Amino acid sequence: MTRRLTWGLLGLVLVVALGVGSRGESGPPTEDQRVRQITSVVRCPTCRGLSAGQSDAPSAESIRDEVRRRVQAGETDAQVKGYLVSRYGEDILLQPKTEGVGLVVWALPLIGATVAVGGLAVVLRRRRVRPGSKVSDADKALVEEALRS
Amino acid sequence: MSAVLGTAAVALGLAAAVLGMATLALGLRQRNPGMLRAGQRYVWLVLAGAVLATVAMQYALLSHDFSLEYVANNGSRSTPLLYTVTTMWSALEGSILLWALVLAGYIAVMARHFRSRATDPIVAWATIVALAVAVFFFGLMAGPANPFRLVAGAIPLDGPGPNPLLQNHPLVAFHPPMLYLGYVGFTIPFAFALAALITGRLGEGWLVETRRWTLFAWGFLTVGIVLGAWWSYEVLGWGGYWAWDPVENASFLPWLTATAYVHSVMVQERRAMLRVWNLSLLVATFSLTILGTFLTRSGVLDSVHAFTESPIGPAILAFFVLVVAVSLVLIGWRGDKLRSPGSIDAPVSREAAFLANNVAFAAFAFVVLLGTVFPLLAEAINGDQLSVGAPYFNRMTAPIGFTLLFLMAVAPALPWRKASTETLHHRLLWPAWAGTLTVVACVAWGLRGLGPLLAFGLAAFAGVAALRQLGLSVRAARRSGQPTWRALFGRSNGGMVVHLGVVLVAVGFAASSSYGHRAQFRLAPGESADLAGHSVTYLGTTVEERANKKTTSAQVRVNGGKVYEPALHQFPFGSQAIGSPSVRTGPLSDVYLTLIVPPDAGGVAVIGVNVQPLVAWLWTGGTVMGFGTFLAAWPGRPRRPSKSDSEPEVVTTPGDTPRPEPATVSS
Repeated sequence: MTRRLTWGLLGLVLVVALGVGSRGESGPPTEDQRVRQITSVVRCPTCRGLSAGQSDAPSAESIRDEVRRRVQAGETDAQVKGYLVSRYGEDILLQPKTEGVGLVVWALPLIGATVAVGGLAVVLRRRRVRPGSKVSDADKALVEEALRS
Repeated sequence: MSAVLGTAAVALGLAAAVLGMATLALGLRQRNPGMLRAGQRYVWLVLAGAVLATVAMQYALLSHDFSLEYVANNGSRSTPLLYTVTTMWSALEGSILLWALVLAGYIAVMARHFRSRATDPIVAWATIVALAVAVFFFGLMAGPANPFRLVAGAIPLDGPGPNPLLQNHPLVAFHPPMLYLGYVGFTIPFAFALAALITGRLGEGWLVETRRWTLFAWGFLTVGIVLGAWWSYEVLGWGGYWAWDPVENASFLPWLTATAYVHSVMVQERRAMLRVWNLSLLVATFSLTILGTFLTRSGVLDSVHAFTESPIGPAILAFFVLVVAVSLVLIGWRGDKLRSPGSIDAPVSREAAFLANNVAFAAFAFVVLLGTVFPLLAEAINGDQLSVGAPYFNRMTAPIGFTLLFLMAVAPALPWRKASTETLHHRLLWPAWAGTLTVVACVAWGLRGLGPLLAFGLAAFAGVAALRQLGLSVRAARRSGQPTWRALFGRSNGGMVVHLGVVLVAVGFAASSSYGHRAQFRLAPGESADLAGHSVTYLGTTVEERANKKTTSAQVRVNGGKVYEPALHQFPFGSQAIGSPSVRTGPLSDVYLTLIVPPDAGGVAVIGVNVQPLVAWLWTGGTVMGFGTFLAAWPGRPRRPSKSDSEPEVVTTPGDTPRPEPATVSS
């Protein structure tokens, strides 16, 4: 009983702490936050693999300025990204859209994970009671001998 | 001179590997022990070939022999000595040579280690497989990736030197060799796995024999990856250490499958389960090192490291396909012998936790592989240009990372076969409270965000669980009158030390990627700026002209103390200036400085400042992981001191009774 109580208390403390800790600031995101959010998923055109928010390259800086200008002008995130895609091409986005071919890269791991977790559950639940494995005569003789001595 | 010596050495290595394979094959066919022993001796000739080729290459580089194409393209008279030596692995052909050298070294050590069993078919087959891999790499050097090709036309007087990024930091002398020691090391367990399949001796013997080899390869790969991250942090200047770049992923993929293997192998040793799975993991690890080489060396994917495009791509891809095909055929052929006699008894047990661990690692590897090759596939299928970058990888792998941290906390406390609630309560209560209270403390301290809080909590949970295991081991050692330090050695204890390293890396990764601040400041000399509780004062700039580069360094005082010098380097043959950051490293936070724009006419320079917490924990964690691997590879604490040393070693984990191998039963 006390054991359950202890773990229950632990769970409760954890959930409350995580709940408090994961609550972001209230209100709409600030201009800075939006610029940072958008530039973190946009590639720096002249460097490879880095986001426009991370790079110090001039091209990344010009993207940051452009994004800020458009955010100030009141465009939504989707509009800003749409503009960047029309300007630089689809591969300016560091994560593919969840449509068309891009859907595959998102869906495949989810399907895989479902199958894997399902398979694991099946394996772990299947508690086969196997008939004892075959014992050869040589093994029996060995055991006999060991018991005799 | 070097060209002749080098070409001859490559030919020697190639011929010796082919002859060694042939002799061993013939010896196996005729059951001729003398021939099997003779076949093993060719291994030393392969090593001699590799060493001589390396000597020839180094001689050519150091003597600036520009008649060699490789030296003409990658060497230069003005490059300092250290980077002239490292030029050997600064481009494709030379890195294949390094690969061949490391491989020949491993094969020679293997031949020496198993010399008393040279006539054992499994050893002979393993040597054949390893030599076949050597034939491929020497063949590359004899054909499409010849490091000793002569320049066409007039011999140049000087060369451009290695890629500027590869002559900027001494880590370039350590990171690639470490990484290759890791990559190539998996050839030996792979060779034994194939040998076990071919000979049909699929018991646990080959696993036990290659266990330490796997551990060493894993340790080198781990340290190599961490050094690579450190190099990236100290050299590339964007303030990060891991960008999910294809080259980084290429080194991470075999690490993931190898880590899964290092764990699941214990299930096979103790319960004789997961045989096919373990073989598949080894095959996957080895073939992923080859695939990684293909991805990074063929120029098929764009990345900072893919410094060349060459005809080598198809050759490596063909070898990769061959490795996978042969392995799959062999596994299929031996399918009936691979059925495991054991099965899982309870869903809450050590083996079940290892199984879950393996599913998580496999999923991790799958996501990383998919994300890495997806742009390529999409382009090949319908010409779409897509990027798959850090946001994708972070989002997809975070849940898997949390799962792994959780398993890392729980699994060491679980007994084999079946755990009772009593045991779980007793062993996990304090670690679980440590995790929970860590979350509470972090929230109270003002940290926000579900991801990092979960990471800190789980890391504390796993860390205390590992410490608890080590504590138990120390107590057991004391009771049996052994010195305390002995309690840290052996696989399970070393493994717990590795876990502590992982905890440090996880905390460092979560903190630095969640709570960093970055800004660029335009500063005139004497001006200061503040970022995240740190102040930086720009003092001025100095310019230094050297033979191989022109360096512009800014002097920046951090927090009123020491002066740091981020710089820009202009190399004579490189058009773009290469920045080199300067980092004030601290146990709690790093201040990362870059010179972005050198001072204009008015003396105003643009300084990039990047403040990230706990970055140093990553390097510390990597060191601890390497150290833990060393401890784990050490023979474990002798459980029964009365037994003589000549008997086969028995593997044990604390709390378990040793399970003697068949050899001891019959004696």
